[in-house]
Amino acid sequence: MLALRIAMRFLLKSKGQSVLILVGIGVGIAVQVFVGSLITSLQASLVDRTVGSSSHVTLEPLEVGGTVPFTESDRKNLEDDPAITAVAPQHTVSALVTEGGASVPLVLKGGAFADLNGIYKLSDKLVEGSAALTGDDILVGTTFATDNGVGVGENLTLTLAGGATLDTRVAGIVDLGSAAANSQVAFVDGGLARTALDRPEGEYSLVETQIIDVFASTTVAQTLQTEFPQAKVTDWQVENSELLTALQSQSTSSYMIQFFVIVAVMLGIASTLAISAVQKTRQIGILKALGMTDRRTGRVFLFQAGTLGVLGTALGIGIGLGLIALFGAFAGSSSSSFPITAQPAFLVLSAVIGIGIALLSAIIPYRRTSRIDPIEVIQNG
Amino acid sequence: MAKPTGQGAVIEAEGLTKVYGESIKTHALRGVDFHVERAEFLSIIGQSGSGKSTLLNILGLLDRPTEGTLRLLGTDVVSLSTAERAAFRNEHIGFVFQFHHLLPEFSVRENLLMPAWIAGRAHKGGDSRSDDILAFLGLEAVADKGANELSGGQKQRVAIARALMNSPEIVLADEPTGNLDTVNTAQVYDLFRRLHEEWDTTFVIVTHDRSIAQQTDRIVEVRDGLVEQDVSNTYARAGTPAGGMV
Repeated sequence: MLALRIAMRFLLKSKGQSVLILVGIGVGIAVQVFVGSLITSLQASLVDRTVGSSSHVTLEPLEVGGTVPFTESDRKNLEDDPAITAVAPQHTVSALVTEGGASVPLVLKGGAFADLNGIYKLSDKLVEGSAALTGDDILVGTTFATDNGVGVGENLTLTLAGGATLDTRVAGIVDLGSAAANSQVAFVDGGLARTALDRPEGEYSLVETQIIDVFASTTVAQTLQTEFPQAKVTDWQVENSELLTALQSQSTSSYMIQFFVIVAVMLGIASTLAISAVQKTRQIGILKALGMTDRRTGRVFLFQAGTLGVLGTALGIGIGLGLIALFGAFAGSSSSSFPITAQPAFLVLSAVIGIGIALLSAIIPYRRTSRIDPIEVIQNG
Repeated sequence: MAKPTGQGAVIEAEGLTKVYGESIKTHALRGVDFHVERAEFLSIIGQSGSGKSTLLNILGLLDRPTEGTLRLLGTDVVSLSTAERAAFRNEHIGFVFQFHHLLPEFSVRENLLMPAWIAGRAHKGGDSRSDDILAFLGLEAVADKGANELSGGQKQRVAIARALMNSPEIVLADEPTGNLDTVNTAQVYDLFRRLHEEWDTTFVIVTHDRSIAQQTDRIVEVRDGLVEQDVSNTYARAGTPAGGMV
């Protein structure tokens, strides 16, 4: 590999230039890694906050006030689907709590605790009491508890939409992440709700599910719609189109930033390599006079570019990961921040881009080198 | 080192012409016939612009003739591709230029080894051939120095050593002493003569200096792109300057 050996020697003999170009590639790739990871993590965090604790794909009744037929075998089918991570058939019912003369509305979600926990992460959100739903247990939101002076262990009598009453005991208080949910949503056991509603087995108000890839919800919803013609299947993306537009705009701006950073890096490498090729015109002419072919002399610059690309990219990924760690250390402690993680696949992509643009930048010197005429070089000292 | 045996033509040029330019044509060579036998030691002389350097470039496969035929070592080299010409140059022709043209990024030994590396032959650290040449030219002490750390005379000796590295049948020297003082000039010619005696290599030396040409066995004078004179110089060996160790 004579071309590689010559390339290395050229790089080592122009240390200042080599270091400058390495830093150039490094900073560019670092920015790309950091911005890319920042936006990806920010979006993941936003999506998680938005739909992490809610239904992704929901089976709803065809008519308002109707029910969704959902058997044990239906449930098993959904649980066996690798795309689906949680299934929660529920009986929902509106209720009023009369406290000190005022009536406060509540939406009761009745279901097995394990099912509800799968969707709403109730155990993680417990503020007080215990996260369990047995017998007449009820879990209420923090705002509801504060506003109405309700504490753990207290009895709560609910008046259901049909006029029936339901006696419950507050087992725990949960923080559901939004004031609206905290003041209006409560959880009870499915059996309790079913009895209150006087509903036969195998019929529910709705069935909520969570899936692995939240952005695949539309596809999953379409599949479930064919499996459950007796229900109307909705997915979160339809109900959150504004958020999706915002995420998409954010992605586009992130890609643009990354694109222009890469273009700037490429122009930097290309110009430095072009200068290097001009500086080495004499050496290339001599090597050609000694019998080195055009293609082989051109390869010297490809190897230079490749070496700079590999080292610069490694440096860039290192700096990028360092910036991410710094961000985590300084901003990570605040409650409004989100964790930045660099996806391995994204790092591989950055490496490929870094090395790719370096090699692409070598095209100009490669072509210039093949045009060098040794006669012109050797006749001039 | 064994001397190569056998005689025969190493250079056979017939009707070489070289025309530069499209609209305004400049005739650098106008039909040169030129034959060189194995192990000759000759010079090509001529004024600046006479066409002698063009002839040397064509003989060295650095340039192509506009018309005419050229056979080197029996091979028709005009029809070779650029890559084949590069390989032929590397294997069979050694160059010594007016300017030493060493690679400043490499040491003396590495510069010497470069033609062998290009041929894919020598090891990274050198071989017996490079050691022999370094010893013959008295360059052992500076072998590991950078090419830029040498004096002008030393640099030109390294350039000569490099020209010999691949045991070429033909050494072409273009004004090899044009940049040296009289002492170094005498030493370089003495060295050429010794190398010729020792290794029977064919030497073709281009110069504009008649006193130098007179030290070669045959003098070919080029004028206006034509061979004006081609004479054998029987006094050359007797007139070789004493010239000490280079």
